[in-house]
Amino acid sequence: MADSVRIGVDVGGTFTDFVLLAGDGSTFTLKLPSTPEDPGRAVIDGVATLLERASVGPRAVSEVLHGTTVGSNTLLQKAGAKCGLITTAGFRDVLEIGRVRTPNMFDLTWKKPEPLVPRRWRLEVRERIAADGSVLETLDVQDAIEAGRVLVGQGIQSVAICFLNSYVNPAHERAAADALSHTFPDLSVTASIDVLPSMGEYERCSTTVVNAYVVPALRGYLARLEAGLRKIGIEAPLLIGNSNGGLSTAAAAQAKPVFFISSGRASGAVGAARLGASIGIPDLIAFDMGGTTASATMVRGGDVGRTHEYEFRDGISTPSRFIKAGGYMMRVPTVDVAEVGSGAGSIAALDEGGLLRVGPRSAGAVPGPACYGLGGSHATVTDANVALGLLPTRLGGGALELDREASVAAISEHVAVPSGLSVDSAAQGIRDVVNANMARAIRAVTVERGLDPRDFLLVAFGGSGPVHACDVAATLGMKRVLFPAAPGVFTAAGMLAGRLEHQFLRPVGMHLDRLALEVLGSIRRDMEAEARNAFGAEGRVSAAIDFAFSLEMRFQGQEASLPVPLPANLERDLLRERFLEIYRETYGYVSRDRIEVVSIRLAATLAEGQILDFATLRPAVATVSPETLRRRAYLGREAGWMDVPVRSRNALTVIMPGPFIVEGDDCTIVVPVGAEARPDAAGNLFVTLP
Amino acid sequence: MAESDFDPITFAVLKNALDTIVDDMAYAVMRTARSPIVRDVLDYSVTICDRHGRILSQAKTVALHLGAVPDAMDVVMQRFGSGLSPGDVIILNDPYAGGMHLPDIFMFKPVFFRGDLCGYTVVIAHHCDVGGRVPGSNASDSTEIFQEGLRLPPMKLFRGGQRDENVFSIIEANVRLPELVLGDLEAQLATCTLGERDLLKLFDRYGQAELEGYFNRLIDYGEALTRKAIASWPDGSYSFTDYIDGDGFSQDPIPIRCTLTVKGDHLYADFSGSSPQVRGAINSTFSFVKSSTYLTIRCALDQDVPNNAGVYRCITVTAPEGSILNPRMPAPVAARALTGYRIVDTVMGALAQIVPDRVMAAGEGGNTVVAIGGYQGEERQPFILVDMINGAWGGRANQDGIEGVTNPSQNMSNLPVETLESRYPIRVESYGLRDDSGGAGQFRGGLGLTRSYRLLADEAVLQLRADRTEHPPYGLFGGLPGAPSRNYIAEPGGELKPLPGKATLRITAGTLIRHDQAGGGGYGPVESREVERIRADLADGKISEASARALYGVTQ
Repeated sequence: MADSVRIGVDVGGTFTDFVLLAGDGSTFTLKLPSTPEDPGRAVIDGVATLLERASVGPRAVSEVLHGTTVGSNTLLQKAGAKCGLITTAGFRDVLEIGRVRTPNMFDLTWKKPEPLVPRRWRLEVRERIAADGSVLETLDVQDAIEAGRVLVGQGIQSVAICFLNSYVNPAHERAAADALSHTFPDLSVTASIDVLPSMGEYERCSTTVVNAYVVPALRGYLARLEAGLRKIGIEAPLLIGNSNGGLSTAAAAQAKPVFFISSGRASGAVGAARLGASIGIPDLIAFDMGGTTASATMVRGGDVGRTHEYEFRDGISTPSRFIKAGGYMMRVPTVDVAEVGSGAGSIAALDEGGLLRVGPRSAGAVPGPACYGLGGSHATVTDANVALGLLPTRLGGGALELDREASVAAISEHVAVPSGLSVDSAAQGIRDVVNANMARAIRAVTVERGLDPRDFLLVAFGGSGPVHACDVAATLGMKRVLFPAAPGVFTAAGMLAGRLEHQFLRPVGMHLDRLALEVLGSIRRDMEAEARNAFGAEGRVSAAIDFAFSLEMRFQGQEASLPVPLPANLERDLLRERFLEIYRETYGYVSRDRIEVVSIRLAATLAEGQILDFATLRPAVATVSPETLRRRAYLGREAGWMDVPVRSRNALTVIMPGPFIVEGDDCTIVVPVGAEARPDAAGNLFVTLP
Repeated sequence: MAESDFDPITFAVLKNALDTIVDDMAYAVMRTARSPIVRDVLDYSVTICDRHGRILSQAKTVALHLGAVPDAMDVVMQRFGSGLSPGDVIILNDPYAGGMHLPDIFMFKPVFFRGDLCGYTVVIAHHCDVGGRVPGSNASDSTEIFQEGLRLPPMKLFRGGQRDENVFSIIEANVRLPELVLGDLEAQLATCTLGERDLLKLFDRYGQAELEGYFNRLIDYGEALTRKAIASWPDGSYSFTDYIDGDGFSQDPIPIRCTLTVKGDHLYADFSGSSPQVRGAINSTFSFVKSSTYLTIRCALDQDVPNNAGVYRCITVTAPEGSILNPRMPAPVAARALTGYRIVDTVMGALAQIVPDRVMAAGEGGNTVVAIGGYQGEERQPFILVDMINGAWGGRANQDGIEGVTNPSQNMSNLPVETLESRYPIRVESYGLRDDSGGAGQFRGGLGLTRSYRLLADEAVLQLRADRTEHPPYGLFGGLPGAPSRNYIAEPGGELKPLPGKATLRITAGTLIRHDQAGGGGYGPVESREVERIRADLADGKISEASARALYGVTQ
């Protein structure tokens, strides 16, 4: 397969980005407007176009790696399936009660998020499993079917099942799920034990319900996409970026979409960490700004911030390790991303009080900003950038002609005239507001955790990040900004830097001093076999696999555990030592109490196959060169309108002082007055701000 | 600090750095604690103080604890003065020497930077047992502090890094579950030390002079924002009275009365007219009264006011000596949290007259405590469940109350049913919203919860502390009160029978206990409620058809 190619595709709210990695390490990139009514259409078109450009046939494709916002958009827009929930009698309100905490103290205005399944569609059945797994009351499967019938009669498309203590004995849940799937073949059914087989009825139920809520949308989308790829002759597997920044098969994503809600942006963050490693910078902030949202992720010491729980909520999502209350809880491994609902397509308008607001409404890809000439009449952030001369009049490698007059007219009508400002001033105002919003996401992962953003490098990517990054950095006093090669399609490239993985978890539940080591050894062998089977089922029989085992351990009586890497030789004293060492490092003390082994975890990663290496990356040659070598651009209130040099990306070979504008076919970089930009051989551009 | 040295970004970084230290400390307690009341229900609090004992930042933990820290800090500083050294750790729980009630053990670690005292890390945790006459040490029907358990005046648990084994052995000998209590003390200790490490990192980076300049600025900033808010309120005096059903001995209502006086940019809260101290254990230390008052007023301020000592400077609290809100030794205080909740409701009622759009109608009236303790199995292993049922908010100026929510005076969580059942010989048979319990109004009150427990062990002692049975949560501006709370018991094979609000009794295997919590009060005239809201509640079974018809004249 020396000539095989891999393709990374990231679908955003506005653009769909593509990177093709050829066997010799060369890359081809492409950016197309997204097709929100059927996001797969842009994907298929783009893949076909890219293959043509790279002059390779569809059979040469070894993998298509895909990041999608279908999951998160479904939640954000509350556009998921009409869902039902079936619970143990007496417990239908567990989902709505939650963990009863509030995200802020002293805030009487708090609005608790509406449950994804309203009470009217939460039904109960008689059944009960005890905490030790014994059956107290046997489920009559007819009751479950009857509940299903009621729900289907109400037009329910997807049902979640969560019974008490099912994580110890799944029999009832399994029986109910099988009966419902059998009786109602069109109904999506998610049993909690298939999503999160662990203790804690609320967390398990909520995770299950989110899954049920997004299942039909994601399943339909991926099925259509796979069929489309087959149609253009691609037989290669479709792999999906999961919330943890890893890759899984499309089948896994269709069954458990709750693990894929942060698909895409997690891959961007992981890509940024790998890029940092390739240039020897371990501490950075990955900043991704697309058409509809912007996000920030902290990378420290080379590690991407991760969390095992995640809450999806409106507005800014600022993860705190301590507070749970703000949104829809998912207990799944996730890259820790702070996100704001502002991007290049965000619509600017004056509110009733005369305050300029930008977002959260977005013009999306259709109709898009006014300058696209596709029927959009609202003033967007992109219109502001076009009016100020920061963006060229052609985007996406010439795919899109921009109408500057339309931008000026929209800004004039919606912002300048009502506020009595000049168009320049109004456009700059739109930029100021959206830059402040972007800064909030970065603050959420730095300042709000007591970290000084000035200690970090900002890695800016996404279709719109590079137009704003330097101004956003300046707002926070940050001095160093890095633009990777092809920043506009960086997330898609990030996926090419990832490997296929499978995660496994088995309960152990023993005191360390009573743990039979030979049993542990045999569980380890079983899990290895399970992982090999999983890869085998995906056509990777006898593939080379990296196995990373860890034990979840804690002191007796604790709820939380710490992961301890499992040594090759299983010795009790060694395990104890390792745990105490990690515990002491985390909490600064150790107890004399007994130690419990809660569970064993396996992360199995495919060790073979070609992945993208940022250090040896050969950047794509830009296919467009700027029409003019200089252009008039408005560089902030102090500098005003200036005659600014314009460079194509691959023309930059030496250190160059700002101001100037870099145009590529994936995005535009604005380097401000007083800054200095230094390119490197791998296509990265380092900017130092004054 | 000089104005020229002030850097707004550093100021913001430091404010958030302090908030992050307490957030990380709170997380560490949750991760390392042993008893469900701490690790799951989160009945603990975390704060850091400067070297003067002034609160710099509070974790999003139990607000009711946090406002009592200044008084406890005063006692520690008076008792030990300059006699503190690096590696010292102080504990106390004595309500008559800085504490609130015996289960809440305060721990303070003085922090030293280059040999000088520079601050304190503080962790308060509700321990599952501190001895005394009943398991859980939380009975409402004790009559003297001496029945309530082990009293710890301020003392050093560690001296210069060395454990005082005497103190540890006294604690171990006096509590029913020493493993859990010592394990939770360990968690407090680890957390104080983590906070110390992080605070010292700030001192290292910024230096003492600059850092303390910003500390002062932060506290002044809290004060300035609070004064600005109070100054915008109309001058005058505003009174409100609310009631506790009884003290567990007598059914006579116990009045709590508060008069708020706005005078320029200062607020006075006086509790004259409240009940004299009572026989049962619902007397509240004055520190706890202040805490309850501060937090309620804080709820009427904007979110961006920092939670530090600056806020307290603007509020003066007084309560007559010998009253339920300022009791004399040896009055029992174990169940004083209830009185705290009622103080919150009372101050809220007075605030409603000042800032009607910033308050809510009364919520459930504070969590209900269900404690079940006994011995299980052949080996007679002791167990003590301390469960707290939360809660409902009253209606607000522009939206309904909330159901399934912590009382705003805390930020507690609930004990997952699956965790409870895996650790105790108890089965939970229902946990849900209590239909039809929210007070009617333009914006109705949140529904109370209902939760039932069946004992599986041979026998146990049940302690129940509920209220709002006789005096349901009030409505505001035409809204109606929420449904009163109810307790029930069913002996094995028997019918469900009512139980009083507060009870301590012996129960046997198979007994079922059910609590129906009070619902929140409504806000605004009942006739102004939008029909769509009523219909949605009907479809969700949150109100019955009978209620919809009777209260709102709406039929399905």
